[in-house]
Amino acid sequence: MEQFIKPPVEVRYKDELELLARNDHGRRPENWKLSPNAVRLFILGGEFSTAEGKVRIRKKFYGNDALVERAIITLAGSRGLMLVGEPGTAKTMLSELLSAACCGVSTNTVQGTAGTTEDMIKYSWNYALLLSKGPCRQALVPAPLLIGMEKGIFARFEEITRTPAEIQDSLISVMSDQILNIPELGDEGLVLARPGFNIIGTANTRDKGVNEMSGALKRRFNFETVEPIADVRLEKEIIVREAEDMAAAGHIDCPVDTDVAELLAVTYHELREGVTSEGTVVEKPAAVMSTAEAVSVYYQALCHAWYYGSGRIEPAVLTQSLLGAVCKENRDDLEKLRGYFRTASKEQSKAGELWKEYLSCAKLLK
Amino acid sequence: MERIPELCEAVEIIPFDLSSPVLLFPVRHHSPVCSYHLLKAIELYSPEIILIEGPQDANELIPVLTDDRTELPCAIYYYYKDKKQLVSEEAADHSCYYPFLYSSPEYNAMKAASELGIEARFIDLPYSEILINTEGEQGLRKNEKQSYADDGRLVRSDYFKRLCEKTRVRNFEEFWEKYFEISGLELSTEDLYKQLMTYCTLIRHSTPRQELIADGTAAREQFMAANIKAAMKEHSRVLVVTGGFHSPGLFELLKGKVPETKLHRIPKDCTGCFPAAYSYRSADALHGYSSGMSYPGFYDNIFKRLKRADTPKGIYSDETLTLLVKAAKKSAEKDLAVSVADITAARTLMSGLAALRGIPEPGMSELMDGVTSAFIKGEKTISSSMPLEYLKQLAIGDGVGKIGDLTHTPPLVADFEKQCHALRLKPETAAPQEAVCGLFTTAKGLPLSRFFHRMRFLGTSFCERTKGPDLHGSTDRSRVREEWSYRRSPAVDAVLIDRTTDGFTIEEACTNIVKRLLKNGPGLDTAAHIAVECFLMGISIEEEAEQLTRIAAADGSFFSVGSALGYFKTLLELKQLYEYPDETILPLLTRCFDKLVLMLPAMANVPDEKADELCSIIRRLFALTDSLLPDRRPQLTQSLTELCSQTEKHPAVFGAAMGLLCAVDLSNQFAAERAMRGFLRGTAEIKKQGAEYLKGLFSTARDIVFSGDDFLLMTDELLRSMTSGDFIEILPSLKLAFSYFTPQEIDETAEAIAALYDADAGAILDDAAIDEQLYSFGRQLDIEITQKLGGEHH
Repeated sequence: MEQFIKPPVEVRYKDELELLARNDHGRRPENWKLSPNAVRLFILGGEFSTAEGKVRIRKKFYGNDALVERAIITLAGSRGLMLVGEPGTAKTMLSELLSAACCGVSTNTVQGTAGTTEDMIKYSWNYALLLSKGPCRQALVPAPLLIGMEKGIFARFEEITRTPAEIQDSLISVMSDQILNIPELGDEGLVLARPGFNIIGTANTRDKGVNEMSGALKRRFNFETVEPIADVRLEKEIIVREAEDMAAAGHIDCPVDTDVAELLAVTYHELREGVTSEGTVVEKPAAVMSTAEAVSVYYQALCHAWYYGSGRIEPAVLTQSLLGAVCKENRDDLEKLRGYFRTASKEQSKAGELWKEYLSCAKLLK
Repeated sequence: MERIPELCEAVEIIPFDLSSPVLLFPVRHHSPVCSYHLLKAIELYSPEIILIEGPQDANELIPVLTDDRTELPCAIYYYYKDKKQLVSEEAADHSCYYPFLYSSPEYNAMKAASELGIEARFIDLPYSEILINTEGEQGLRKNEKQSYADDGRLVRSDYFKRLCEKTRVRNFEEFWEKYFEISGLELSTEDLYKQLMTYCTLIRHSTPRQELIADGTAAREQFMAANIKAAMKEHSRVLVVTGGFHSPGLFELLKGKVPETKLHRIPKDCTGCFPAAYSYRSADALHGYSSGMSYPGFYDNIFKRLKRADTPKGIYSDETLTLLVKAAKKSAEKDLAVSVADITAARTLMSGLAALRGIPEPGMSELMDGVTSAFIKGEKTISSSMPLEYLKQLAIGDGVGKIGDLTHTPPLVADFEKQCHALRLKPETAAPQEAVCGLFTTAKGLPLSRFFHRMRFLGTSFCERTKGPDLHGSTDRSRVREEWSYRRSPAVDAVLIDRTTDGFTIEEACTNIVKRLLKNGPGLDTAAHIAVECFLMGISIEEEAEQLTRIAAADGSFFSVGSALGYFKTLLELKQLYEYPDETILPLLTRCFDKLVLMLPAMANVPDEKADELCSIIRRLFALTDSLLPDRRPQLTQSLTELCSQTEKHPAVFGAAMGLLCAVDLSNQFAAERAMRGFLRGTAEIKKQGAEYLKGLFSTARDIVFSGDDFLLMTDELLRSMTSGDFIEILPSLKLAFSYFTPQEIDETAEAIAALYDADAGAILDDAAIDEQLYSFGRQLDIEITQKLGGEHH
């Protein structure tokens, strides 16, 4: 298979999806590739029986199983799904998994930015054809919303609150009437959505207020708030698993050190919650302390160990990666990070050798 | 249900055998599905007697609960006073509730028995014995608010944790609803029995024997088994309704000979039980301790529907929809935008989720999910989650029960009613009533006031004082009337019942609570507050004299003792008026006084924020030597002198002390003046302290100003020597210093000052105001001249 940095979900998990589809006997909403039960199994993992015996599917989304169930059922209904939450809580990943499992495609996506325009969402024109043939279907370049409607698949709208309000609102008529009108095409310009079409939006709560969604649009979505992972053990598991995947993709043959992963998981968890496991209050940095950030810090340290070092992750390197990840915008965050190291070095639960070595790197924080 | 095979095969599951002389029916407290199938089992088995898990002390209350006039939720309240120290050396009081709802299988068993004309009987150990047989911090002896109906065992085991993982449910409530409450309605009674028995047997199997002994389960089951055996001798078909966890244990015990349980001799006045009205809210609060189901109102409605309907089909769908609509309505009332479209979306989601999760109909978990997705717009925060909060409130229910047969009224409630009658209060009204107590004018004024104060002290929320003298805050002390508003709500009864362990009359309960509060060794100021309460309630503190003395001796905080001194002084002054017989307060006051005088010199250098309080304590001490403790004047003078001779002292405190010393002996005035001069000659910082000194001085000896011109001259000098910035800084202190004078005195002072400047007091006040335009012209002129001269204008 050809190599890519990050293949789409439907490519990455092709085998699993095919296996599930073959053995899926549940009822499917029209145009869905899998039944809701199989979608749940794909995302939340578990065992199922096939003719060849029992197969185990790996869990891909952690934290809130009921949320995933609600998301699946929402998508089978008439309302769109809006995933909101802190940055780095795997909203996009969940949206990709859902699209890939339900429609077999996760790439029908609009990336919301301040410069997003209506034609990036709905359709634009091939101007050469437009000039030569006039407005006709051949000259039309469909954008994700139109593609989704015509094919009966999901259109994903990333970071919806970063797009201007009037662009967001262009979704309203499509979502309520399931019709897109292309006036240039005259009588043929009425596109009716096929069954299976729906919209998955994501919005991060840090951007709240940049372009707040209108009430009318909100009413057309069911909202799900994706919370950061509350369990340190789970967070560690995710760091280990993701780092392993990334290492494999980058051909880094370095064993993942679970103790270091735990160290990082605890650091991130405590800084995010603003309180240590022993109950001491620490100042929360303004920077995003997400699990995704922790993974990238870990991977960075791992790369360093692989290319420059002995293959062992050095706490000093880890500390420096952490510094780079936490102190991005705000100078105060450096002081907060130092404060955390000071507090942590006094705690009983962090008295192990590795912790000591890690915390002694506080001098590098500058 | 998915099975864990290795466990299933290892244990014996009790069969559902209708021909057996005894049928052990396992239930979960307040579970509609258990009640539903229990009633069917009663029909199928036609028992001659029904035995129910519950302390046997309450057997005579069964008819009260099944009385047609009784409305649920109700509870049996048990109490036990461990005077004989059988439970522990602490000799503590214990109490617990055993709540019943319409959905409770135990209630339905009693009701069915009464309808069939057969006997229903509680078979568990008496409440006192359960406590005696339970180790500390276990079972019913945990410090949490306790309910007899404890399902904790069904939740806590490791088996359950594995089951949760395997069946993909979030928690026990979801598991139970999915596999028992909703799916169970479609099963035959026999199948449900088997399923429930399997679950309970497996849980039981994974619980160590040691735990069963520690939390009293072993002793209770032995006693229950003996009772079952006894009933089997008299009857040929015995139905036993117990928590599911006990059924396998009882089954084993019934196979052999059951040893006899020896009961302790408990004095009659130490233990008892009576029926009490209960509320859904309290029933739900208990679910946190795994006692009974959450959302009792919702499940009660489910059971009421089950009783009415021919088939259980559609009941959960209907009830969840009803609740969904109510939640939407309530959200809309609170101005949260929830539309019919949202209800439809939630409804679709609920049925979709039920299908996905393999449940025949949506239940409470799906309802919550539906509201979460469809009603909460935007990020889920505390404010946006309000619809979910409303839903929970609705599902909990807000009903309060009523006991029909009033012959078993709890003693405190009876005493309350008796006193209300004697004092001619009409508490049973919907709107709060008003009552006025002329404290010293009418014969019933004081008793009425004391009754209200006692009820308030018990925390009953029965009454609230709207007007009257506040002896705690020492304001409005001149008032001779109190005005109260009062109303008897169900919460009042609930609190009174809870207080039963403290006493059988309101007076006794108050006395015992006071005793307990003082026993905890609070600070002296808190103890003095309690003494004020006793004073208001007309409850003597004579018996507590020793304890109060101990507290006074132990309290090392000057300010705590100082504020206590104030309260004791108030009480001494008012005790005759309030007809409060007492010999304790004066010795306490004296003790506080001596302690304060001893500590006073060391307090000279208090921080700024405490200075005013210290000054007022010093004044209080001095006032006492004028009235109640004249013989202690020399000690106080000595102490004040010592304070003044300290090198580091707060200027205000210094001033106050000097003032008092002047009052004792006029010759000290010279020293006071000298001190003031000292402040005047200092640096700017020290000068500022002069204002504080004056404040303290005037607070205790304002007459010093009128005894000569010296202080006025010095004040004048102080002010003149200051920059305007510094003056603004000391202005608050100065203002306060002069607030100790009466208006007349201020007038006189003003005149004296005017004389210093050869001005007429009237002239200052009556001077015509300067014309505004003229002023601004002058000012402008001033600025321009200054500029011309090349200087800066200030």
